[in-house]
Amino acid sequence: MSQTKSLNVDYNYRVVRLFALTTVFWGIIGMAVGVLIAAQLYWPALNFDTPWLTYSRLRPLHTNAVIFAFGTSALFATSYYIVQRTCQVRLFAEKLAMFTFWGWQAVIVSAVITLPMGLTSSKEYAELEWPIDILITLVWVSYAIVFFGTLVKRKTSHIYVANWFLGGFILTVAALHIVNSMAMPVSAFKSYSIYAGAVDAMIQWWYGHNAVGFLLTAGFLGMMYYFVPKQAGRPVYSYRLSIVHFWALIALYIWAGPHHLHYTALPDWTQSLGMVMSVVLFVPSWGGMINGIMTLSGAWHKLKTDPILRFLIVSLSFYGMSTFEGPMMAIKSVNALSHYTDWTIGHVHSGALGWVAMISIGAIYHLIPVLYNQGRMYSISLINTHFWLHTIGVVLYIVAMWISGITQGMMWRAVNTDGTLTYSFVQSLEASMPFYLMRFIGGVFVVSGMLLMAYNVYKTVRAKDESLQPVPAVA
Amino acid sequence: MPMEYATIHSIFTVILFVAFIAFVIWAYSKKRKTDFDQAANLVFEDEQKAQQKNKQESDHE
Repeated sequence: MSQTKSLNVDYNYRVVRLFALTTVFWGIIGMAVGVLIAAQLYWPALNFDTPWLTYSRLRPLHTNAVIFAFGTSALFATSYYIVQRTCQVRLFAEKLAMFTFWGWQAVIVSAVITLPMGLTSSKEYAELEWPIDILITLVWVSYAIVFFGTLVKRKTSHIYVANWFLGGFILTVAALHIVNSMAMPVSAFKSYSIYAGAVDAMIQWWYGHNAVGFLLTAGFLGMMYYFVPKQAGRPVYSYRLSIVHFWALIALYIWAGPHHLHYTALPDWTQSLGMVMSVVLFVPSWGGMINGIMTLSGAWHKLKTDPILRFLIVSLSFYGMSTFEGPMMAIKSVNALSHYTDWTIGHVHSGALGWVAMISIGAIYHLIPVLYNQGRMYSISLINTHFWLHTIGVVLYIVAMWISGITQGMMWRAVNTDGTLTYSFVQSLEASMPFYLMRFIGGVFVVSGMLLMAYNVYKTVRAKDESLQPVPAVA
Repeated sequence: MPMEYATIHSIFTVILFVAFIAFVIWAYSKKRKTDFDQAANLVFEDEQKAQQKNKQESDHE
């Protein structure tokens, strides 16, 4: 196309490499902790009567590790990569970028130490105590400076759509984190939220749901808008749709939080507002999914030979599935059945393991060879094996939680003719047990796939420069 | 008489709705098509340069 315009940009891949490698490392740790707590639900003796190993302390460690260590490292790696390559310019404030790496690792290590000790603010997905919250803020502001600084010094006239999503994610997460973490410290490791009652609950779920909407959705959509076209070798299906669905998505997501508080002390009108906004959210979500999948129209055959592309496209199918399921579960009458049951856990994991993990894994498989001067990953067939292990694992997980969740919901609401409850809580727990085993097996599949990935990445990184040649494309 | 909150919010909602429709019309106008096609290809812009560079390097070998 613009062959005459030769511009040899020397990109900063150092920080991208570090974040890409830690993505794989923390992915294994976070998911392995998930498998351990899944096992504890089936074999409760696995907490070994040790406070540090109890489910209640390891569960926040699992969620923090997969969201903030695995997922957010993947976002750091890909956003630093995408913003450089689509702006055709080297990263702004590179030392600050290195600070975001070491600062973020310090945050994760602090979480790994303090959460098993039982130090927690008790806010879901925001459990870390106030000193760590301050470090997160410093890292995040630096992240924003590096990202937007790079956008400002770009060599291209247009800001590519992936950067809009990534920029939206960075700004909103900063606002969410700062507002929700407002607290009054009483000692070095204990603080109390400045909010109280229903306001506290609403702030918490405004944060919680937009962590889903902006970190786990907008951020990863930014990833999608770069890596899907790149891996498929064709531009995004509709650039116009990408712009419209960006603004629609960010305008609507911010209102959806109240669906976490149906039938609570939150005012009724707020619950209804959250429900309506959540249902409408289905439209821009599917706009993004269709845009990603249709990018492949005319090149579907590539899915047969390219397991990386398969990771990316199947992740979009899971995204479509969970953004259909989510609005449905936000409807109050459906929520009356699903809330507090395993259905919610299944829904979260179809988003987290299906969408977020698969798009990140695909992106990392695309990135590693580029970052280490190779034509391809060490083994394409291992990527294929990883794809099937992961897919089988996710499907086992989701199906187990659907059955268990609906069973729980039905048993909890069943009443006898005299108005007493038909089942005790323990009876519903007994009904769920086989599915807890099934969930554990699904988790083992997912972690095995991640271990294969680590081996494949290790072999690619250690291979001699340019010794791995790309496979010629099949016509 | 001061305007009621509900009235202000209703007007604001209508303004947002109209703005969104205008925005969609802007995005889908024919005039924008070439610009957007160009923008969509931004992901490949620097790849072509890299390929060019690689080719030159392999020619030397």
